[in-house]
Amino acid sequence: MLRVLFASLAFLCLALTAPARAQDEGSIQPILQEQSELIQESSRRTIQPAIDAIAASGLSQAQTVLETWQAKDMWLRLTDGQYFRAERINRETYRLFDLDTGEDLGEFPADDLDQIKPNSGIRGLIAVALVQFQLSDPDPENRRAALQSLERDPNEDALAPLRNSIEGETDPDLLAKKQRLERLLTMAYDRDPEARIAAIEEMSEDTGVDVRATLNPILSTRLRVFNGAPPDSLNIARTLTPGSDALPRAEAYEMLVSAGDAPSRLGPDAIKDTLAQNITDGEVAGIQVHNLNTQETRRTAYDRLVADGIAPPVPTEAEVDATLAQYIFAEVYDEPNAAVTTAAQAALDSIATRVAVGQAVDLTLDALSLASIYFLAAIGLAITFGVMGVINMAHGEFIMMGAYTGYVVQQFVPGPTASILVAIPLAFAVTFGAGVAMERLVIRFLYNRPLETLLATFGISIALQQLAKNIFGTQARPLTSPDWLDGAWVLNDVVSISYIRIAIFALALIFLALFLYIMNRTRLGLETRAVTQNRRMAASMGINPDRVNMLTFGLGSGIAGIAGVAIGLWAKVTSELGQDYIVQSFMTVVVGGVGNIWGTLLGATMIGFLQKGIEWFNPSNTLAAQTYMIIFIIIFIQFRPRGIIALRGRAAGD
Amino acid sequence: MKDLKSTLCAAALLGATAAPAMAQDCPIKVGVLHSLSGTMAISETTLKDTMLMLIDDQNAAGGLLGCELEAVVVDPASDWPLFAEKARELLTVQDVDVIFGNWTSVSRKSVLPVIEELNGLLFYPVQYEGEESSKNVFYTGAAPNQQAIPATDYFLEELGVEKFALLGTDYVYPRTTNNILESYLMDKGIAEEDIFVNYTPFGHSDWSKIVADVVALGADGKKVGVISTINGDANIGFYKELAAAGISADDIPVVAFSVGEEELSGLDTSNLVGHLAAWNYFQSADTEANADFIAKWKERMGEERVTNDPMEAHYIGFNMWVNAVEDAGTTDVDAVRDAMYGQEFPNLTGGTAVMLPNHHLAKPVLIGEIQENGQFDIISQTEEVPGDAWTDYLPESAVLKSDWQELGCGMYNTETETCVQIKSNY
Amino acid sequence: MQRRPLVARHPSILIFLALLALFTLGVTLLSEAYGTGYLSTSFVKTLGKTLCLCLVAVAMDLVWGYAGILSLGHFAFFGLGGYMIGMWLMYERTRDIVAGSMAEAAIPPTEQEIVDAIGTQIFGVVGASEFPAIWAFADSLLLQLVLVVAVPGLLALVFGWLAFRSRVTGVYLSILTQAMTLALALYLFQNDSGLRGNNGLSGLQNIPGLTDVPQSHVSMWFLWASAAALALGYVLSAWIVSGKFGSVLRGIRDNEARVRFLGYPVEQYKLMIFTVTAMIAGIAGALYYPQAGIINPAEIAPIASIYLAVWVAIGGRGRLYGAVIGAAFVSLVSSWFTGGQAPDVNLGFYTISWVDWWLILLGLSFVAVTIFAPRGIGGLVDLIADARRPDRHGADLGPDQGALREKEADR
Repeated sequence: MLRVLFASLAFLCLALTAPARAQDEGSIQPILQEQSELIQESSRRTIQPAIDAIAASGLSQAQTVLETWQAKDMWLRLTDGQYFRAERINRETYRLFDLDTGEDLGEFPADDLDQIKPNSGIRGLIAVALVQFQLSDPDPENRRAALQSLERDPNEDALAPLRNSIEGETDPDLLAKKQRLERLLTMAYDRDPEARIAAIEEMSEDTGVDVRATLNPILSTRLRVFNGAPPDSLNIARTLTPGSDALPRAEAYEMLVSAGDAPSRLGPDAIKDTLAQNITDGEVAGIQVHNLNTQETRRTAYDRLVADGIAPPVPTEAEVDATLAQYIFAEVYDEPNAAVTTAAQAALDSIATRVAVGQAVDLTLDALSLASIYFLAAIGLAITFGVMGVINMAHGEFIMMGAYTGYVVQQFVPGPTASILVAIPLAFAVTFGAGVAMERLVIRFLYNRPLETLLATFGISIALQQLAKNIFGTQARPLTSPDWLDGAWVLNDVVSISYIRIAIFALALIFLALFLYIMNRTRLGLETRAVTQNRRMAASMGINPDRVNMLTFGLGSGIAGIAGVAIGLWAKVTSELGQDYIVQSFMTVVVGGVGNIWGTLLGATMIGFLQKGIEWFNPSNTLAAQTYMIIFIIIFIQFRPRGIIALRGRAAGD
Repeated sequence: MKDLKSTLCAAALLGATAAPAMAQDCPIKVGVLHSLSGTMAISETTLKDTMLMLIDDQNAAGGLLGCELEAVVVDPASDWPLFAEKARELLTVQDVDVIFGNWTSVSRKSVLPVIEELNGLLFYPVQYEGEESSKNVFYTGAAPNQQAIPATDYFLEELGVEKFALLGTDYVYPRTTNNILESYLMDKGIAEEDIFVNYTPFGHSDWSKIVADVVALGADGKKVGVISTINGDANIGFYKELAAAGISADDIPVVAFSVGEEELSGLDTSNLVGHLAAWNYFQSADTEANADFIAKWKERMGEERVTNDPMEAHYIGFNMWVNAVEDAGTTDVDAVRDAMYGQEFPNLTGGTAVMLPNHHLAKPVLIGEIQENGQFDIISQTEEVPGDAWTDYLPESAVLKSDWQELGCGMYNTETETCVQIKSNY
Repeated sequence: MQRRPLVARHPSILIFLALLALFTLGVTLLSEAYGTGYLSTSFVKTLGKTLCLCLVAVAMDLVWGYAGILSLGHFAFFGLGGYMIGMWLMYERTRDIVAGSMAEAAIPPTEQEIVDAIGTQIFGVVGASEFPAIWAFADSLLLQLVLVVAVPGLLALVFGWLAFRSRVTGVYLSILTQAMTLALALYLFQNDSGLRGNNGLSGLQNIPGLTDVPQSHVSMWFLWASAAALALGYVLSAWIVSGKFGSVLRGIRDNEARVRFLGYPVEQYKLMIFTVTAMIAGIAGALYYPQAGIINPAEIAPIASIYLAVWVAIGGRGRLYGAVIGAAFVSLVSSWFTGGQAPDVNLGFYTISWVDWWLILLGLSFVAVTIFAPRGIGGLVDLIADARRPDRHGADLGPDQGALREKEADR
């Protein structure tokens, strides 16, 4: 009652204040008021009439109102139930605008206002309603939005307006989209089967998800039971025999039971229930209850109950078979036209082959990417472990330090691009320093005791990890990648790879080249190789082995730091980041063959491909992939204990 | 000759004995059993701080039964067996009157036998998988029907999702929740082949294949939605890969059950706007009580800190316990437990939470869309939903019921009308 | 030559056994169950668990300190032992509950129905109800007890045979054993492994049939059992390393190639010691987890095995009592620091909270021990022994410096 009063009052106010134009064309407010309940309920199931009412109002402002609503900018004034567009001024006050004219109505307190928040389901419905307005909208962004909405919710009604809008389209990109959409809608909704078949055949080489998403519903089937031959008017996909894989015998019989065409087959539980209902004086049909603890005695008791006419008989297996033989089971297409379904099936088959090829390519890309990540994580180790023979369990923590360096830099240097450019050399410097310090303070005392190096560096590893936790907390830290690394390189809907993975791949190649250059073309590389092969001889040739060891170790650690920045960008920055890679990195180096960078490369490639391959066989369990990969490596090492590329001769040591 | 070596060993074993404390009426001791180190420290430290704040507030308001409250904080270090050890220590050595603690289900299962053996009282604040009811535990977090089921309904009804990808980390909570959801979805007429389930290890980072698989689900023209029970760090890689693949919330919406304000603070959310989370509490809830709570929290911990759902659970749980102790006039576990049933306390999101005889709360379910600033825009809020210990959507637990007040049984078979077991299953 | 009895050759065994007996007696007299109640049950459990850790450390010392194989996988065997006994504990406990509840139904249950109900109870937590094949023997305590030794032993045998046959040695072997542990942990993390994945087996402290016995008694029984196992394990280990077998082992550690050229089947020796220690580790695990109450795959993560090596190194490898000292000392100190009992150090500008800084201290002290005191805490004993006996100043026998060599060879 009060509400009506308020509403009429509000109308009065509105009539007094609203400018003339709205009066002439009519205001949208009455429509909103009429639908107010639905709008405020804000549920996708019930909202359609409200959207339709606005869209069909014929008012010129309908489009803007829908857009305002969709953008969550529509607000309700509680005192009078009127709707407005609102802009936030601060927490307490909002500026309201008239929905019809866009006129500024001044500031209002937030207490009196309620935001209408359409959920994304409703926003999708609004977008569908907006399509008719937006398809030929002068603003290309609006046209794009309309097309996007159509892609998400294709519908029959849009086909005609879409066709009409194609002619006037000036933007080549949008034109291509419209033409493609027109083909898809034709496939699904055109009245003329010839046109549909033509469209289907035209698109039969396209691997897009949208094409398959259009074709598959055309081929939707339903399993039906026929007593006798199915009528010719039906478009039969295939007939099924009960007991085959597609239709297990029990399932087929269950269909008949639920249709009321056959008596039910009682399961053990049902038999048990029946027995429990028929207990008299501690026995069922003359059998003591405590003897009913096997299925056989229960069955005997039940059979006696049947004989006494107390329980319904259970059909025997032979009876079940006889019943099943009377019926024909068939999958029937929902689409009545056989020519269309045949064409759609043919198109899908040809697409399926292409998709399979695409998936193989995509899997290869994924595997390459994973291989490059493992390689990147392991390349520093290839220097410290592979070349120098030092087991550095803290290698993973150097990767982590690099990642945290990237995070810290991002706190001080604005702009992701600039900060990454600063972070890379800085991460190298930090981990280079840490590596040199560790070599000088710990490792040089332990060059002859590899097992103890392992334990000492492990000590450093847990200390560094805990230190990182103390400084940065255990929460993952954000490391934002620059815009040009966002997104993915999309070949088609099946094959795509994110830019950050491509960047990591490139970085891995750069490091490979750098490693080869340093080891084979620079004095440091020469000296490193000399010291590794024969320390005393190298020293007597005027090389300072201490200095060389220090620099080499620093170099390996520094590269780990840069890898850390890349891995942090790709995944996450936590104190446990290093742990995830340390065992895999060692495996990579060992599998590849210690002391040879090509071996490390091959090792990383093998592990990457192997893991992705196993994942492909067993897609729902990525843990299994890791388990089997490690087992495979353990077995692999039995056959090539020195790795894929084994060093021969003197360099092999021993 | 070599006596010292063995003496040393024995001394080391004997030397570190701890003297048991004397039981006293005052002060009233509140045990806080949250990991302060190890992998779970990130989530649980916040809850320890929440408890300390609540206890300080209560002391400032005059304590309880004329006594000061004293917090006894121990660190189980994210080590599940250690949880049991520390719980025993709290109950026998420190003689605490109540314990607030645990986060993971594994840790709760580890503590259960100890708490039940020693008749302790535990308030567990995190959303969990249900299928459990212990006489000695009050579950202030959401049961599946207070989070997972409403969120799935939202997907079905509001977003029109027809095909589901259930992605989870490989542990108890996702396993059980997905099991319940699978069964629920099949009840709702979703075919088995339209439900894609995948489990990944903790801290998983290589998401490209899984995201590609999810996109490929759309090939039969049905709308795809993702229900994520992915836990912790792994979310970062997952959301990054989603963003890189250009999947917007309008194409494939993702609703997460383990991603709250705290987790989002480790992420750049600009690419995630519109994806969803379901909880019983969001920091953005616009009520006065919540504004006070947030202000107090920020004043104590710093401006940049956020509040989240388990914090609210502790807030409600602690206040209910305080009221129950006052009603009972004692901290005796059995008396307090009886006084707990029917306790009411206002939620931070508006409305009132009620403690039910099955040791769960009736709480409203909220669904929020992620915003650019790392907060959630609440787009759906239900009436209070009573928590259900045994889900109705799995055949073996549909017949089970928990009622400690009337039946005195947490696992009561309504068909055979017998109590399956008094202790809980762990 | 007539050999003197073992105890005469190694008087340390007697001393160790005496101290262990004294310790057990002391704990018993101070316990809640049988004594004054000075020691809380939770602390008795901690002590009992520490004894099990000492036992696995002795095994680690055999394989690393004496045979020179730095295995980073012995905690996997420890965990497997725990899983094997855990399966029986869970099965039987659940069986008692289920059978009790089903007996009240109108129609008595069939055997199969009971088994199914147990399966639902145990695996309902992880969303399954079927018993996997590996639970086939879970209803038999005897078979599971055999498996406690057999499963770790078999895994060690197969893995060791593969590894030693292809002459994987030194750090490569360490990395390989670490990979084995990681693979096993990852496998157990999966639900498909049939051992409840991440959740593991829980409620193990409730011993079937002993539901009415208070935990204070049960914990004492386990402490006695652990002490007995440690004593037996210690004597067995001392016997192994004291004879010819032990000498060959030390020979392999110091120079594998030389021993091989002398005609010894080095691989068989290594395989033997690897397998035996795995079995000892399995027994230690089977005693440890019923006291801990829960076992899950995180227990056998690679880091646990590295800690095991840390204990042995800190205690002093190459001597059995060193391993015991290391395991007891580090694990007890560790639980003291992380238990929040250690007082915080206030530096004025910063308060060192040991919960945060203990791991850093441990890590650094570990570096310090490897560099400055490779003989570990056990080295202190040498200080006394050296004071009485002149130092021979002999060179190290093998390329791997550090642990005492020459003096051992003299024995």
